[in-house]
Amino acid sequence: MISASKRLWHTSPLTYIALVLATLLSIYPFYYMVVIGTRTLDSINDVPPPVTPGGAFTDNFGRVLDNDAANFLTGMMNSIIVSSVVTVSVVLTGSLAGFAFAKLRFRGRNVLLLSIIVTMMIPTQLGLIPLWGMMQTLGWYDTLYAVTVPFLVTAFGVFMMRQYASQAVSDELIEAGRVDGASTLRIYWNIVLPALRPAAGVLGLLTFMETWNSFLWPYAVLTPENPTLQVSLSFLSYAYYTDYSQVFAATAVGTLPLVIVFLLFGRQIIGGIMEGAVKS
Amino acid sequence: MSHSTTVAPPTPAAPPSPPGDTPKRWRLSLARLDIKYSPYLYIAPFFLVFGIFGLYPMLRTLWMSLHDWDMIGDHTFIGLDNYTRLLTDEYFWNALINTFGIFVLSTVPQLLLALFLANLLNRTLLRAKTFFRMAIFIPNVVSVAAVAIVFGMLYQREYGLANWLLGFVGIDQIDWDGQTWSSWTAIASMVNWRWTGYNTLILLAGMQAIPRDLYEAAEIDGAGQWRQFWRITLPLLRPTFIFVVILSTIGGMQLFTEPLLFGNGNIIGGTQRDFQTLAMYMYEMGITNLNSAGYGAAVAWALFMIIGLMSLLNFVLVRRAAK
Amino acid sequence: MSLTTRRSRLAASALAAITAVGGLAACGNDDEPAAGEKPSKLVVETFGEFGYDELVKQYEKDTGIKIELRKTAQLREYRPKLVRYLATGKGAGDVVALEEGILNEFKSNPRNWVDLAPLIDDHSEDYLPWKWELGKAPDGRLMGLPTDVGSLAVCYRKDLFEAAGLPTDRDEVSALWPDWDSFLETGRAYKEGSGGKALIDTIVAVSDAALFQQGDDLFYDKENNIIAETSPAVKASWDTATSMVELSAQIETWSPEWSGGFKQGSFAATFCPSWMLGIVSENSGEENKGKWDVAAVPGGGGNWGGSWLAVPEQSAYHEEAAKLAEFLTNATSQVEAFKAKGPLPTHLEALQDDSFLSYTNEYFSDAPTGKIFGESVSKIEPIHLGPKHQAVKENAFGLALRAFENGQVSEDEAWQQFIKDAQIQGAF
Repeated sequence: MISASKRLWHTSPLTYIALVLATLLSIYPFYYMVVIGTRTLDSINDVPPPVTPGGAFTDNFGRVLDNDAANFLTGMMNSIIVSSVVTVSVVLTGSLAGFAFAKLRFRGRNVLLLSIIVTMMIPTQLGLIPLWGMMQTLGWYDTLYAVTVPFLVTAFGVFMMRQYASQAVSDELIEAGRVDGASTLRIYWNIVLPALRPAAGVLGLLTFMETWNSFLWPYAVLTPENPTLQVSLSFLSYAYYTDYSQVFAATAVGTLPLVIVFLLFGRQIIGGIMEGAVKS
Repeated sequence: MSHSTTVAPPTPAAPPSPPGDTPKRWRLSLARLDIKYSPYLYIAPFFLVFGIFGLYPMLRTLWMSLHDWDMIGDHTFIGLDNYTRLLTDEYFWNALINTFGIFVLSTVPQLLLALFLANLLNRTLLRAKTFFRMAIFIPNVVSVAAVAIVFGMLYQREYGLANWLLGFVGIDQIDWDGQTWSSWTAIASMVNWRWTGYNTLILLAGMQAIPRDLYEAAEIDGAGQWRQFWRITLPLLRPTFIFVVILSTIGGMQLFTEPLLFGNGNIIGGTQRDFQTLAMYMYEMGITNLNSAGYGAAVAWALFMIIGLMSLLNFVLVRRAAK
Repeated sequence: MSLTTRRSRLAASALAAITAVGGLAACGNDDEPAAGEKPSKLVVETFGEFGYDELVKQYEKDTGIKIELRKTAQLREYRPKLVRYLATGKGAGDVVALEEGILNEFKSNPRNWVDLAPLIDDHSEDYLPWKWELGKAPDGRLMGLPTDVGSLAVCYRKDLFEAAGLPTDRDEVSALWPDWDSFLETGRAYKEGSGGKALIDTIVAVSDAALFQQGDDLFYDKENNIIAETSPAVKASWDTATSMVELSAQIETWSPEWSGGFKQGSFAATFCPSWMLGIVSENSGEENKGKWDVAAVPGGGGNWGGSWLAVPEQSAYHEEAAKLAEFLTNATSQVEAFKAKGPLPTHLEALQDDSFLSYTNEYFSDAPTGKIFGESVSKIEPIHLGPKHQAVKENAFGLALRAFENGQVSEDEAWQQFIKDAQIQGAF
């Protein structure tokens, strides 16, 4: 049996070659960003282009911090706050609704689920103009509410959690919980949420990154005085020419939190996907 | 928690409890209320927030699309005129074709590649699998704006890496943003680079859910890896695959930032509107030109309907193909 | 080294300016009771390079008010931002630069702007008269104080000219191209001498230069009807531009490739309104210092660009902002800005100023830019630009020319594309 499964999952050197190639392609542009961000502005237009990091990072990043118009640190702080709040909310509301759609029976379930799928097809830009007007009416223009509240729920989150819940949470477990007299909320909290943890981790990570990287809307409702990170980055490239080493130094620093979050939790998430999926 | 407590299972048609047993009866009816109504409570947050910040603006856009609407001026009701104008608007059709072209160039290779990578990663005996899984996901971590700057450098005519490499195989310099097909390819490569890893991860999660013993049984029957992929992995992956295809369609139809930045931030998308997508055209009409917001709203609704049709079509096609 | 001398010279003259303004401001304050507390910070919102970096530092030092310079790269990004700030009533700087191409659009709603006249001294006789008049809103209120005009010249690379066997002395170079036909001939000679290299960046730049030399109605007539198809000025500029296609490196102005092209020597000449000098030197870098020079523009005269400083109604500090705008546009400041980044003064005193007229630009081979540009100012004639001039020029005229230049369409098709897009872009 052991030998059979070994042969079954045999990995050829070609597999590794393909994966290493994919890895290099994936990492290269990011690496290039670091190279430019740590070099002086002059060396960017050099032929052939530089391939190793230089020693000018402190200087480049110093220019970022000195740049009054960009408010880089405020932007960083704001992005951390907004992304965290949105992530927690999307995961909680998504798993709660996803659980209800997957495992609970109620009138109008299918119609409501369909309406959520339809919702995902709405171009984000569709409501942009009226939404912008609403922010004014509510007095949220130039506040973090404007970039947080409308994004506290996502149709994608509900749909994704629903898909996972219908696979990963067994009906028997829920029945057993009911038999024990647990309320639905208790079942959600003690049985469903732990089972959904891998998917919730993925959803959380994706949401965090999307919020962190979103630009168009924050740019439309925030002013340079109180920006998010991406808005702040856009104010860095200010003149008729772009100071790429400054922009890339800032972008690299701005991507760092994501990389940290990813390195910290990515492993567990990926491991979790396997375990959770196999166990169920 | 209440694992050890042995409570009699409540039968579905429990007879009314005798009086004097009120706490229990109270609990029972509470439980019934819970089962019947709590689902609505759980989905309420989504519908509440979405209703206010998603649905309302959307309906408002619909209302605007029936008007000749000036953002900083007057608006008059004109019925469906904006929509009939769409039918004969050359630039609208142009944007539609561009959107589809880029969509095909980005979605097809992307999904095939993601399927391939996910299959490679779906190996228990793979060394450093966590490393590989994380590595291919990195592109999605970097912001679109940064990606666009880097790719913009790659595709420069004179000093870009792309033309430099093509030079080795004897291909002349290509003016990447000067022609339709080349700009589509360049933009699609950006999209592919960013989203392949993401889709791989989702497909991989789907593959992990396929029971191992199916493969082991097939192995005993003497089926090779390729056969196993076709016979077991693909059919069982269908729900996840549909999910990924629909998501890619929605994303592809709404493509905005990549082509915008590829064209140095010009909403027109190239000198000949070579790569202006529908979302860009909507933005041009609805937001850049303040006076045609009503028409921009009509473009937005047309886009919405196209996405709906596309998703439906996808669903049917993938379903049929998998059968 | 040169930076320090420039800075100290600048500091000295700015100090002189401030003592003057400061004195006046004190008088003004006597008349009015102190209206609110002193602002902790004022924001100056500009696009491109106005050359204000050192001036605001000096202003900060003298008034104790912190000044933040907020710069946006391109006019294309700057305009929608301003529109948004005005529409929401929040976010705009206290002092805002308005370029000639977008000024008319913003004039259409003068209530967004503070009437500067009561807040500052009377300057109605101080500036080029036509420039001053354009700064007024339709209702006669003073909306903007003149900053600069963009009289034209050609920036060229001496080393590349020499390598191609062309003269390098600025007078000789100017003599090479009295008109556009001879410019074309020179371009051909350069191409031949350099082994096929391009003289200019793009024909769109030619069209800009040639368009603004026409001195008449451009895309709109006086009643603001779009006349793209029939306007002789537009047609003339179109013909000049399209004739130059063989000289072009086909590099879009303001694109990253364009910025890089200065260092790579992708083109040997570009059209330089005076505000372009700072951009050319920034892009070319320290290593190309002394390789550039400035010659006369073919056809003579013309004005491309130029701005005004205005104070949005939404600013919390009308008076202080107006004072700051007054400072930034006074004669001394204009001369200093010119020396720093090239925007050409519009203040009559500045134009007569010795340090302006005798100024030589070290970066551009010590070209006497003060004299070159100063002399051309008097020849500038006011042009009528319609409400969406910038949009028509950039998104209809410029794009059609680029499509032709890149070989995507024939000249005829390009012209048809322009006519069609002019209607779309120009509607208001």
